[in-house]
Amino acid sequence: MKTKDCLITMGVLLIVLGFLTLTARSFAEGTATAASPASQGFPSFEVLNPEGVVQIVPTVTLNPHPSTLEGKTIMLRWNGKHNGDRFLNRIAELLVKEVKGVKIIRSWEVAPETVEPITGSQERSMELMKKLAAFKPDLVIGSQAD
Amino acid sequence: MAKDTAMSQGVPDAPFVVVPHPMGMIPEAEIQKKAENAFAEIVKTATLWKPSGKLPEMKPAYPTERVTFRGSAEELNSLFFTKGWSLGLPLVPPTPDRVKEMLKGTSLKPDYVIGKVPPRMGALTVELAAAHAVMAGCKPEYMPVLIAALRAMLDPRANWRGATTTTGTTSLLVIVNGPIVREVGIASSQGAAGAEHHANASIGYALNLIADVVGGSKPPSPDKSTLGAPSDFVPWIFGENEDRLPQGWEPFHVKRGFKKTDSVVTVMAIYPPVENIDHWSVTPEEHLTWWGHLATPLVSIGGPCWISQMDQIHLVGIGPEHAQLVADAGWTADQYGKAFWEKARLPFSVWPKGCPNVDLLTRKLGRLTPDTPVPITFSPDHIQTLIAGGAGKHSHYFAPFPSCFPVSVNVEK
Repeated sequence: MKTKDCLITMGVLLIVLGFLTLTARSFAEGTATAASPASQGFPSFEVLNPEGVVQIVPTVTLNPHPSTLEGKTIMLRWNGKHNGDRFLNRIAELLVKEVKGVKIIRSWEVAPETVEPITGSQERSMELMKKLAAFKPDLVIGSQAD
Repeated sequence: MAKDTAMSQGVPDAPFVVVPHPMGMIPEAEIQKKAENAFAEIVKTATLWKPSGKLPEMKPAYPTERVTFRGSAEELNSLFFTKGWSLGLPLVPPTPDRVKEMLKGTSLKPDYVIGKVPPRMGALTVELAAAHAVMAGCKPEYMPVLIAALRAMLDPRANWRGATTTTGTTSLLVIVNGPIVREVGIASSQGAAGAEHHANASIGYALNLIADVVGGSKPPSPDKSTLGAPSDFVPWIFGENEDRLPQGWEPFHVKRGFKKTDSVVTVMAIYPPVENIDHWSVTPEEHLTWWGHLATPLVSIGGPCWISQMDQIHLVGIGPEHAQLVADAGWTADQYGKAFWEKARLPFSVWPKGCPNVDLLTRKLGRLTPDTPVPITFSPDHIQTLIAGGAGKHSHYFAPFPSCFPVSVNVEK
């Protein structure tokens, strides 16, 4: 699969910005069996578990990250949400200062058409990733959320 | 939410660094500080993270798991709520007999997988949809409408994932056209989108049950809606009032390429509708001017700040009396849509400096000055109209959620 090959060539680091809470239960846990209350005087009966099952098929495999960032090309990916570019710009300054020979590519400068906060589909997200992969970064650092 | 989204998209262990909320609408100095605080963790994750490649175990979607229960109706409702299997409202127990009866309303086999419901990617079989129809109080004859709506929502163009996980106040808009409206009793006139209409209410309730329970879009995460809305229980669902189409105006589904005799369900995720309460205009020009002050590009997620929004379809549900006003003056529905587009503008000076994509906007609209009137979409063809509701002088503008287009599906029995 071309998309898969394309993504395998790059390590991906995603930064989640601004989460109010991370209380979501994992979708990987699957469904549990309901415990019946021991109510006297009521007959037992069956109901369908309305949750259904989760069927997830692997789509991409991420490469291991490089052991050092020295001499590597790092793509900074901004999705257009307010201040994400400023956050990444500061990360770029720190990388250049701290890491020898690092090269920074800003997605919004080299591929402004990829500044798209909500792609709406996995297919569209893959298109954008392909455009970024064409710059052959060793690693991508992205920002998202509000 | 991002972790769950990555998992449900088949990327089980994407690496993340979490930065405290908020990011948007704060000064640059604060953003820089947040970056500095996160930098060490980012470098660590960039160099030490390794993939695990673990995915959840795959179970068959059919038959749906049966659970034995003993207790009262109240206890069953309490159990379902505790398990995350309800929205909090009372429901009818989905017993195998009731589900079997519900399945008589469709010719589809119970093991047929309609799709995987985002964001959780729960596998939705016809049997599971029927279980939710039972829970919501549907009649078997509603099943074709329910399944058509689900098929439309599962079309990638509908962007169900985004609409059910956004911080915005989004809702599903469901419009039904054609003979099925009368056949199953979908309300299409006075108060059609409101209460007291069994088919609308129960089909809508079932849709949101499926979104919440099978799709897992529950607050506070992955449903991140800042406020939420009553439409999280029952969405906007009504039939077009085809009986009140002015002479020469076509039904909504015909304008979208279907035959008049087709039964069609159209869905789109929307922001809260904007109401035009115009009791006074006596000419189309006067009436459309009202829209100019109500339906602005700001309603659709900041308009040009989200430039893809300007290439989407925006819907106007014209009240029958407003439609008659403009039709009596000789206007077509297309003229109405074009006039709406001409009026619904704001000067460019309204948008903040942080608004991205100004370059792309300039490419589309030419040089921008503070006084440039920015339209609600790039083309009048993006405005589609239908006749919505009954007597009264009220029309409604439905702004779409980003990257979400109306999807129309034939109702098949």
